[in-house]
Amino acid sequence: MAQKILIVDDEAHIRMLIEQTLEELEDEDVEFLTADNGETALELIRNELPNLVFLDVMMPKMNGMEVCRRVKKELGLDHVFIIILTAKGQELDRQKGQEVGANLYMTKPFDPEVILNKAREVLGL
Amino acid sequence: MARLRLKNILDKKNDNAALIISFIEQLKANIYVEDEHGKVLLGNANGANNFETPIKLEEEIIGWVKGDDKTSVIGSLLDLLIQKEYERKKLGNEVLTLYQEVNLIFNFSEKLAETIDPFSIAAITLDEGRHLIKFDSGIIVLWDNHAKQLQILALSGEVLFNQEKLNAHVNLLHDISLSGQSEIMGDMSALKEAGIIIPEVQSLIYAALKVKHRVMGAIILASNEAIQYSAADLKFLVTLALQSSSAIESALLYEKNIKEAKEKEEAMRRIFEITNKFVPYEFIGSLGRNAITDVRLGDQIEKIVTVLFSDIRDYTTLAEQMTPEENFRFISSFNEMIGPIIRGHKGFINQYLGDAIMAVFPDNAADALAAAVQMQLAVEEFNQKRISKNLSPIQIGIGMHTGPLIMGITGDSERLDATTIADSVNTASRLESLTKYYKASIIFSESTLQQMLYPETFHIRYLGMVQLKGKHLPVSIYECFNGNSLTEIEKKKNTLQHFNEAMLHYHNKSFASASEGFQYVLEINPHDHTAKFFLDNTIRFINSGVPENWSGVEEMSRK
Repeated sequence: MAQKILIVDDEAHIRMLIEQTLEELEDEDVEFLTADNGETALELIRNELPNLVFLDVMMPKMNGMEVCRRVKKELGLDHVFIIILTAKGQELDRQKGQEVGANLYMTKPFDPEVILNKAREVLGL
Repeated sequence: MARLRLKNILDKKNDNAALIISFIEQLKANIYVEDEHGKVLLGNANGANNFETPIKLEEEIIGWVKGDDKTSVIGSLLDLLIQKEYERKKLGNEVLTLYQEVNLIFNFSEKLAETIDPFSIAAITLDEGRHLIKFDSGIIVLWDNHAKQLQILALSGEVLFNQEKLNAHVNLLHDISLSGQSEIMGDMSALKEAGIIIPEVQSLIYAALKVKHRVMGAIILASNEAIQYSAADLKFLVTLALQSSSAIESALLYEKNIKEAKEKEEAMRRIFEITNKFVPYEFIGSLGRNAITDVRLGDQIEKIVTVLFSDIRDYTTLAEQMTPEENFRFISSFNEMIGPIIRGHKGFINQYLGDAIMAVFPDNAADALAAAVQMQLAVEEFNQKRISKNLSPIQIGIGMHTGPLIMGITGDSERLDATTIADSVNTASRLESLTKYYKASIIFSESTLQQMLYPETFHIRYLGMVQLKGKHLPVSIYECFNGNSLTEIEKKKNTLQHFNEAMLHYHNKSFASASEGFQYVLEINPHDHTAKFFLDNTIRFINSGVPENWSGVEEMSRK
């Protein structure tokens, strides 16, 4: 079965950037899903069970921290690898990220190479 | 950018596939779509393939629509969707490239902010540049306009540059990057002929390091592969150079400031050291100040201290035999010998007065006496050297008195001096002058004895009372003979009891008994000049009678 990556960010250009960064994974049968708010993201995670989620923090409807908390603490979806992506300078979020069970914490602007390598590592590609 | 495949469009959970399917249904078309390898992506290959339309992207066939006569319509639609997706991806890719650049510059700035070393800054610049510009060897040079020299801040990668040749042909660099230009170099023959770069270099790009309009140096990247450097590469290199040059400039300024600050600090330390020699820290400290810069006119403190006064006997006679320069040298070497002894006994020298020294001992009188004894022993040693050089030995007299002393800063707003004002200073000085009279090397007052801890550790003789000039009350004075020669000490010790008894008789005007006592002392120790002094007095009183109001106190009319 194809592996899935969910990209969650309310900013379209960030979604596009991440997708573009990871585009070569498409050739390895990886499917991309996107969401522009927390609620949709939670819905997609529940239904599609993506292997990896890039999750923005500041979003309308439901913020990334809450999405992560529900996925990890309420739904108990431990196998969904969640990378919290937050703006540089808001390093305080790091601790919060750990509290809600995020697997990894990265900052924007991100280094595309780092993102791609991490995705490959998580998906075992 | 990865190649766009038909599969990506039709497989995706986006609206494209749904749109095509609904279109096919509405047209009641009997068609299917396959990729360039013949793999069916949509519909069923059910044999009805009278028509086929290729799907093209950038003149390349990436799949086929096969089936009935509707293939061309569906084909056109797919072409359109593919084109749209392609445009989207292309734009995304461009944005990603820009984003990478932004990210790189962001990281670069962040790293620059963490270092203040020009060499590290240059190394970071080459490292970061490598992420976006392809090169085999990079060099960052700094032009020192003062020394008219190039300094190599960083060099990385393969050895494509020759550092020595760079400096030997600086003019070539002045023609290019050091003139402030930045460019992708086409003709490298001049650089190759000069040996600055090896002949194998095929591509070269450089940017000037500039701050405002001043050219500081250059960053040069070379490759032994034929690389088509683009305008974007040059723009990026210029951006790096701009960031790098202001960081290097700051670092150099910082270095300069640190160096200057260190020099100033060193100068301050030297000034402090030297002022400490002029006005001892103990003096400043006694005034409750930390440094000489803190003292104020009028600062003062009164303290009970022991003042020690030492003087070289008959110095004027000695000085007459020397030139002024010899004189100065003699006094200097003498003071060099005495200074450490004073400090070694918790004292400090308040003043050098020609051949005399005035020292203050703030803690205890015993410190002063121990210092005085050691001074006498040092003079003894000093004399051994003088005798071996056929020079006459010297003698010093030491007087000490314990009493209140005001240490303070006096003068006016333009001229300050650390000074001591006290009667104790006069008394100590007078007692010193008595040493010559009494033929004793160390004389101190009653108050010094009173304050002294463990006086029993010294050999002390009572020398009666004396009326000092300008004083109301007579003072009891004592001699310490620890500073004498060992045989002298022994003899004075052995006659101490007789000496003290004779002094008592002398005081009680029992001059006959006193005379006997002093004579006894002198029989055992003919060199006891102090005993001789008192014996002479005794004999004079016996022969000429005692003055009417004589109370046993010596009148000291002389200073």
